[in-house]
Amino acid sequence: MFQFLKRLAVAGALATMATALVAPGAADARTLDEILASGTLKVGVNPTLAPLGTYDDKNEIAGFDVDYSQKLADMLGVTLEVVQVGSPDRIPFVASGKIDIVMGAMTRNPERAKIIDFTLPVHTEVFGVLTLKENAVSDWKELDKPDVTFVQVRGSTPVKFIEENLPQAEVLLLDNYPDVVRALAQGRADAMLDVLDFVGEYMNKHDVEWSVVETPVDVYYCAIGVAKNSDNLKDWLNVAVFELQRKGVTDELWLKWFGIEMLQPVDESPWF
Amino acid sequence: MDYTFQFGQIWPRLPYLLGGAWLSLQIAFLAFCGGILIGTFCAAVKTFGGGIARRIVNVYVVFFINTPQLVQIYFLYFALPDYGIFLTSYMAVLLGMTLNAGAYLTEIQRAGFESRRQSEMEAAEVLGFTRLQQIRYVILPHVAKVLFPPLSNHYILMTLGTSMAAIFGVEELTGRALNVNAETFRSLEVFSIIAVVYVVVTLFASVVLALIGRFAFRAKMRIV
Repeated sequence: MFQFLKRLAVAGALATMATALVAPGAADARTLDEILASGTLKVGVNPTLAPLGTYDDKNEIAGFDVDYSQKLADMLGVTLEVVQVGSPDRIPFVASGKIDIVMGAMTRNPERAKIIDFTLPVHTEVFGVLTLKENAVSDWKELDKPDVTFVQVRGSTPVKFIEENLPQAEVLLLDNYPDVVRALAQGRADAMLDVLDFVGEYMNKHDVEWSVVETPVDVYYCAIGVAKNSDNLKDWLNVAVFELQRKGVTDELWLKWFGIEMLQPVDESPWF
Repeated sequence: MDYTFQFGQIWPRLPYLLGGAWLSLQIAFLAFCGGILIGTFCAAVKTFGGGIARRIVNVYVVFFINTPQLVQIYFLYFALPDYGIFLTSYMAVLLGMTLNAGAYLTEIQRAGFESRRQSEMEAAEVLGFTRLQQIRYVILPHVAKVLFPPLSNHYILMTLGTSMAAIFGVEELTGRALNVNAETFRSLEVFSIIAVVYVVVTLFASVVLALIGRFAFRAKMRIV
């Protein structure tokens, strides 16, 4: 038995070490100087959030986030390298230095700010409720019932919002937007609460009658995420984000990809 | 590497994670039992059955052994509703794992059945054993001894395979770890802990199975 316990301890320690070795530590995040010296800026973009990120005809990642980070790379004078990220892994990726910055609807919130730093806001997200016509309600607060199931992307901001504001509703968590929209269309859940601009493409793939609850549920500010303690990179990005906003480049790119102006504009302010 | 491990936010969530481990074990156990039933039946058909029945079983086994389990569950979960068949997350995962296990266990058990020695059967017949006595005293003890180790291995594999359930919204160990990760972003800490939990769970199962194997079936199995 003692032998067994000893082996168990060794196996446990090995498993812990193996996990730790796979992901490098936060110390590996690159500084602004290192990015400039290497000649590439590694940006994490989520390709399932069209039109922020999507796959184009050549099966390459394109979208608002890619164009926006291209502008940043141009301003830095380096080449852009787009790295695919998903909602659950985007923060660990930037925290561990696998990527230099992360885009992809990075809502600024205090929980995330414990792990990574944020720049000034780049754009907003207006949350709405998507449901099927037969389940339509006039106010999202009517959905706070035990027999209502929301289907949401694991690790996304609305999960917490539902916990806090619709505590009675059930939540089914899946890993990406296509599966979430499909689950909703198939009737596995009654509603989803998210930024509806992002799911338009997936909604069109299902032959059902959708209904959008009109009330804007909430507004969030999305920024660029960087690793903690990479202050020189963050400072530069803040200047760049301000310049792109001031010169109207952000709005221009938003209009190009979303086809409409940002529903809730980010106010330009020279104070930061 | 100067990464600072911070388990402070994880320890309070440990009971939640262990609840997930319990669900993982439950899924693995139920799917394995279902798989054994299917496997025994199909192996019997393949060994003793007629042409058409054998062919049907072959199609099932070949299909399930040669496609990824993830694809099979995805099909059950997302494709079947288009044909009016609606399985919950739990049911889709359980059924997918059961059918997959059934196919593998068919092959394992068929090999076991075929390992019975013809000479032993003939000796039993000469001694005047009835068919039932032959199965009870000659085939079963022999086959059980041969089959127990590979079946145990498959059971361990299935326990680890339950991590797939997370993709379909079943909150087992991996699913709950992903949730904790999404709340705390302490990925290394969360996944280190569940790695240890998986190791403990599978080692425990190995020991129990090895003990059963040694004493009940006289199978040669190492106890860790």
